[in-house]
Amino acid sequence: MIVSSYPWWWLALPVLLLPIWWHRQKRQRLKAEPLATARFLPSAPPAQLRVWQWRDKVLLLVRCLLLVALIAWLAATIFPLRGDTVLVDAGADKAWADQQIAAAGFGAASRIDLPPAALQWLRANERDWRPDARFLLIARADQIAMPARVPQFSHQVELRTQSAAHNEPSSDRAAREQQIAVAAPEARGAAWRSLFAAFDVAGGASIHYALNAEPNARTSLIIWDQANVAPPAGWRAPNWWIATAPTAFPELAAATVMTINGIALKYADTPRGRLWTSDAFPPRDAATARALYEAWQLLSSATPSPGYAMPPQTFATARSTLPAITDAKPATWLALVLLALFILERTLTHARRN
Amino acid sequence: MQAATTAMMAQTKDLELVIRHVLAGLGHGIHAGRERGAGVEFSEYRAYAPGDEWRRVDWKLLARADRYFVREAERDSHVAVWLVLDATASMSEPSREINGIDKLWFARTVLACVAAIAQRQGDAFGLLILSDGKVEFTPASRGPRQLQRVLAAMAKAEPLGQLPSAETLRASLHFARAPSMIFAASDFLDWPSPLSEAVLRLRAMRHDVRLLTLRTQAEVDATFKSGAGYRDPERDDGLHRMSNADREHYKQQSRAHFDGVVASCRQNNIVHYEARIEQPLGGVLRSWLQLAGARAK
Repeated sequence: MIVSSYPWWWLALPVLLLPIWWHRQKRQRLKAEPLATARFLPSAPPAQLRVWQWRDKVLLLVRCLLLVALIAWLAATIFPLRGDTVLVDAGADKAWADQQIAAAGFGAASRIDLPPAALQWLRANERDWRPDARFLLIARADQIAMPARVPQFSHQVELRTQSAAHNEPSSDRAAREQQIAVAAPEARGAAWRSLFAAFDVAGGASIHYALNAEPNARTSLIIWDQANVAPPAGWRAPNWWIATAPTAFPELAAATVMTINGIALKYADTPRGRLWTSDAFPPRDAATARALYEAWQLLSSATPSPGYAMPPQTFATARSTLPAITDAKPATWLALVLLALFILERTLTHARRN
Repeated sequence: MQAATTAMMAQTKDLELVIRHVLAGLGHGIHAGRERGAGVEFSEYRAYAPGDEWRRVDWKLLARADRYFVREAERDSHVAVWLVLDATASMSEPSREINGIDKLWFARTVLACVAAIAQRQGDAFGLLILSDGKVEFTPASRGPRQLQRVLAAMAKAEPLGQLPSAETLRASLHFARAPSMIFAASDFLDWPSPLSEAVLRLRAMRHDVRLLTLRTQAEVDATFKSGAGYRDPERDDGLHRMSNADREHYKQQSRAHFDGVVASCRQNNIVHYEARIEQPLGGVLRSWLQLAGARAK
């Protein structure tokens, strides 16, 4: 099944008659020489005179394909070719995700990263998938917000979330006491301790920050400040601050950059939690510390988990027609095919002329 | 050698040069004129025009007046010569052996030679060019200027379209009151045609009609490239094929057609000569005129 965003363009298909007509005309004209006494010769049907028919046929085919490709490109035709797909949250536990994928029978399906606002994205883009394709969404419990109405999909969509028991408590349900684990050499540890002492006082002393050497179940932030040492495998927390060169964290190579309050922050989602790094770790003066505090406050309210998270469930196929396509872009490979056909057509024409 | 000469003649645009070349040594006239030479009975002086013969210039008058004058003689040749040039599309048929010549070139050159002979004899001569459904008419007159006019008109003729309709051609035959000689060069592939009707009508009015049918060597021998398709330049009746098996059929058909033409001419006492355009021009002209002379006796 093919979907076109501008199907009216297909009305231009009769243009194909033009090359066909040209080719017929040309064949008749090319092969006849004028001869004054032709009347004394028996007349012949034109079909018998087409000697170079095969070459012209190839050219005709290429020209027709070229026109069809052009029309398809103009009509922004979408070819739903993608099959079963798993959308995996990068922050989800990998082992758990693999187990879920195998359990749902998506072992052979292709995997893509879970985009932000996954349900809306899926709704807008599911036209790219075959009608019989299925989706599996693998995410942490608090990653996907519950929409006000049941989303309508034209494919079967299954959502599996990592239950909160496996996950660390999220920041919005945190108690007034925040558990912080600091792994830093002695000299830098003092700087971190004084920073969180300042955080304690800031904001009306509403939140108390408790520092430990090792994370526990309620730890919301791990400070990692030990150069060239990888953290123990069992350490998990919703957020990590990485203050050293991130050699032990290869995920940070593909980190997203954001600047808040004059502080450049990079973050990446991993199964261990969300890793943050910045040049401002640890802050060297009071102004930077204050900026970092404000940025962190903004962030903890800006990237919270949604108020009402989506529970795991399966959506059956609920709509038969796809939504109107507003920002249709023709497929890139179609443009490449168009270019290739054009080159082929020019080459063949040139070859025939000589 | 002959072919080389013909090909060389085809290269020049100067019809007069070709005429001079062809007519060198071709001393006799078209018909038995009542008077010989220029100016037996003096009539008047006329200013010299390029093309006049030097021996007709009055040298004593030149000494007196310091101008060239030509003695114009009273000529009473009553015979007008009419040249009919077929310039339809089929006349563009080229020779498949000699590069650069076609039927129209041959017809035009032969008729130009006839015009030159007529001018030398002091006859009035006129021209009809049949091309693209129209008749281009040059009224009959005498003298070197008329020759220039006729040659220019012939040089302009392009092989286009079909013969004019019978009505158009009949309307152009108003000259036929006076006794005249009609020289027509064509391929006569259409017979009967408006042209053949006109020719027979003129013959019935006791004019002296002489036809030159032009063919090419390839047409006579049926040596066209086989395998190719051919179309008629004047008819829109599709394609014709030429295979080796068709050669005999082609020869038969064309022979039958031209036999019909010859029979029709003989029946109406019309002089008819068939030439191939690869033949030397002078020889064709001589044979054509001699044939006419034999009949006139």
